[in-house]
Amino acid sequence: MDVSQYLGIFLDEAREHIQVLSDQMMTLEQEPENQDAINEIFRAAHSLKGMAGTMGYKRLQHLTHDMEDCFSDVRAGSMTVTSELMDVLFQALDAIEGYVNLIQETTDEGDNDNENIINEINRIRNAATGKGDAAPAAPAKSDKKADEASAEAAPAASDGKALYKQMKLDDSAKDVMKDAIAGGKHVLGFSVFIEESCLLKAARAFLVIKALEDMGDIVATDPTSQDIEDEKFDFSFSLFTICDEEIDKAKEAMLAVSEIAEVVGEEFTEEGIDSVGQAGGEKAEAPADAVEAAEPEAPAPKEENTAPAVKAETAPAPKKDQGAKAPATKKPVISKTIRVDIDKLDSLMNLVSELIIAKNTIVSAADNGDSSNQGLNEQVEYLESVTTNLHEAVMKVRMVPIESAVQKFPRMVRDLEKKLDKKMQLTITGEETELDRTVVDEIGDPLMHLIRNSADHGLEHPDERAASGKPELGTIFLNAFQDGNSVVIEVGDDGKGIDVEAVRQKIVERGLASEDTASQFTDKEVIDYLFDPGFSMAKKVTDISGRGVGLDVVKSNIESLGGDVSVKTKLGEGSTWIIRLPLTLAIIQALMVIIGDEKYAISLDSITTIENIPSTDVKLVQGKEVIQLRGTVIPIVRLSELLGFENAEQSDDMIVVIAKKGDSLAGLVVDELIGQQEIVIKSLGKYINTDRIISGATILGDGEVALIIDANALI
Amino acid sequence: MDELERYVEDKATQYIVVNLGIEHYGIDINYIDNIVRVPAIRRVPNVQDFFKGVINLRGEIVPVMSLRTKFEMPEIDYTGNTRIIIVKVDPQAAIGIIVDEVEQVMDIYDSQVEKVTGEKKEEANGYITYVGKTDRGLVSILNLATVIGEKEQT
Repeated sequence: MDVSQYLGIFLDEAREHIQVLSDQMMTLEQEPENQDAINEIFRAAHSLKGMAGTMGYKRLQHLTHDMEDCFSDVRAGSMTVTSELMDVLFQALDAIEGYVNLIQETTDEGDNDNENIINEINRIRNAATGKGDAAPAAPAKSDKKADEASAEAAPAASDGKALYKQMKLDDSAKDVMKDAIAGGKHVLGFSVFIEESCLLKAARAFLVIKALEDMGDIVATDPTSQDIEDEKFDFSFSLFTICDEEIDKAKEAMLAVSEIAEVVGEEFTEEGIDSVGQAGGEKAEAPADAVEAAEPEAPAPKEENTAPAVKAETAPAPKKDQGAKAPATKKPVISKTIRVDIDKLDSLMNLVSELIIAKNTIVSAADNGDSSNQGLNEQVEYLESVTTNLHEAVMKVRMVPIESAVQKFPRMVRDLEKKLDKKMQLTITGEETELDRTVVDEIGDPLMHLIRNSADHGLEHPDERAASGKPELGTIFLNAFQDGNSVVIEVGDDGKGIDVEAVRQKIVERGLASEDTASQFTDKEVIDYLFDPGFSMAKKVTDISGRGVGLDVVKSNIESLGGDVSVKTKLGEGSTWIIRLPLTLAIIQALMVIIGDEKYAISLDSITTIENIPSTDVKLVQGKEVIQLRGTVIPIVRLSELLGFENAEQSDDMIVVIAKKGDSLAGLVVDELIGQQEIVIKSLGKYINTDRIISGATILGDGEVALIIDANALI
Repeated sequence: MDELERYVEDKATQYIVVNLGIEHYGIDINYIDNIVRVPAIRRVPNVQDFFKGVINLRGEIVPVMSLRTKFEMPEIDYTGNTRIIIVKVDPQAAIGIIVDEVEQVMDIYDSQVEKVTGEKKEEANGYITYVGKTDRGLVSILNLATVIGEKEQT
């Protein structure tokens, strides 16, 4: 079978499963009793194994299989979760990821059997379960079944296998079935169990449904037929059918489909149908949850069985909420999505950019033309609002949660914990914060650097922490949130903080500044040296950090994304790195100004106010020009001088654009204001060396080029 | 016969021959994207002096440099013959080179080309690695990578 066309899907899904495995294994390590985590792991491992088998990746399949066996034992309770076990399983996960990476690069899984890992897994399993190598699978399976049965049987009084009894049927379906019974047809309810080794569950389910459709009509299925088609179910599904044949015949037809393990069913009477869905709702099976999540409470009031329905939603809660991550472990609510090549989005974005330039041309033409033409002006305004909305829509399409960039960090911190022999935990908030896809792709490395930095330099050893009265467990945090038109990501720790004096000494030691000058530096200036290339504070170089490449890379990466990074630190209490990123990259709202005789654009995001200041109000403080504005002293920057204009005659009033970066302000003196405009940022290209004040250029409506001033670089 | 022999043994490269004053320079046609008249050039402050600014080339921002400034020749006013050669050494990054005029497209055969060595090489700052001897006189073949590539600090 040629499966190469499925390779992309395989890789995508494999990565998703690996991520689920990683997340849930972390949960499991924290809460060894968490059944949901084990189930989720089992499901992911199993899917991965199945996919690998279908694609013909035997080694990947083998390794996943062994992992799955392990979890099977854990699930059955014959093995406990130990740190040793988790270490090996994480190694196995890394190996799996290795296979997947190799497959991505070469379409081949390579020839590394990872035998040592497999042996290690088996050794631990044998030690733990006391079973021979020979028959691990069979007992595990029966254990599991028992487990499953007990889980289901305990709360629900009904037969654990007859899942169809718990299906929720709407009134119309019930009416149809009652009519059919009255009409002398057989109404049958079935639960079909597919063999767990089955690779193509959806195909088997389809064959079963097909077989039944030959004999009658399917009234309802659980999960929905769409979900069955998409393979969004475990190894069982339930359905109701109106059948021309007897129940035995229908059963026979279903069992004729290969890889069907078991079919449970019965024939219903009119009264029986009413009782369907009443009996139980305590089913802990995931597909039911998914269906519930997909169907919000809206239909519930209409149903006769309101009470059980509510019960169904609340009953699993105590079990599910063991891990605080309950919502994350739920199967996603099914929403219709398609995967789109990012290049296509880029070209869409470029087209929107061009459209906006064209729109600007029309706007300026309309402005210059006959202003009495009311109709034209209205249409131009309409066009403006459409292009702005279009731009926003395209931007939104490109937005993805930063989750994909941060989800590998819990695992990384776990590894660092072992490597550095420190106790630490990572808390992440705001992983749902959305950023442009390109930014999310680029932000992972800088964040990783900062977290490593916190782990290695920030946090102290447990004994040290205890001595200074802190809890032994150090905390590294990552908080992301949106702030106006930017997204802020804070990475920090409750460790020892930056020793400013030590850095100051280092600056002198390295000859970067004389002792006199260094002692004049403010704390902030000193800390800024940490961002210099090659400047390392580490007493010894470790493989985690300390080579002096890091913070400068972090800074340049973030700046290339149009953001900036700063740090707050307090000796003994920890430090926080604050990354600020623009929400969008390509199109911004800007204030157009004239300086000298040239037009410039300043991003509206960085502007707080625009003031008219009499030039006599300018004072000199330490040789720098400042103004006082509502009690705040603000340094001013004369842009015309900075941009190389001869000093024009000083007018009595100055127009000062007050720009903000973090907590600091600066007043930018401009000659004239034009107004606000939506502009498309274009790069000046790689050959031209600007002094960072000019961050790019844009094309105005009349085709003229205006340069964009980066106010952040001036503060 | 002579021509034929040349054809067989020699590889010819097509060059656009441009003039700066009385000097001829050849630019490999493969790198040339476009040749345009001089539009409004937007000055960019505080950059390398040979960069005259940026232009709007059908919606794209393209930096333009003066070959005269780069070669330390005196600037002259732009005339009706002044052209900007848009070259793309890197397909993603166009750059414009201002020249006094464009003369012609010319085949220059490998056998006509001589490597610049010694003193002359120093003089040319690595901008010119070969000189072609043609019926029209000497054509200095520009090494585009060095002409546009290096980043001088301002």
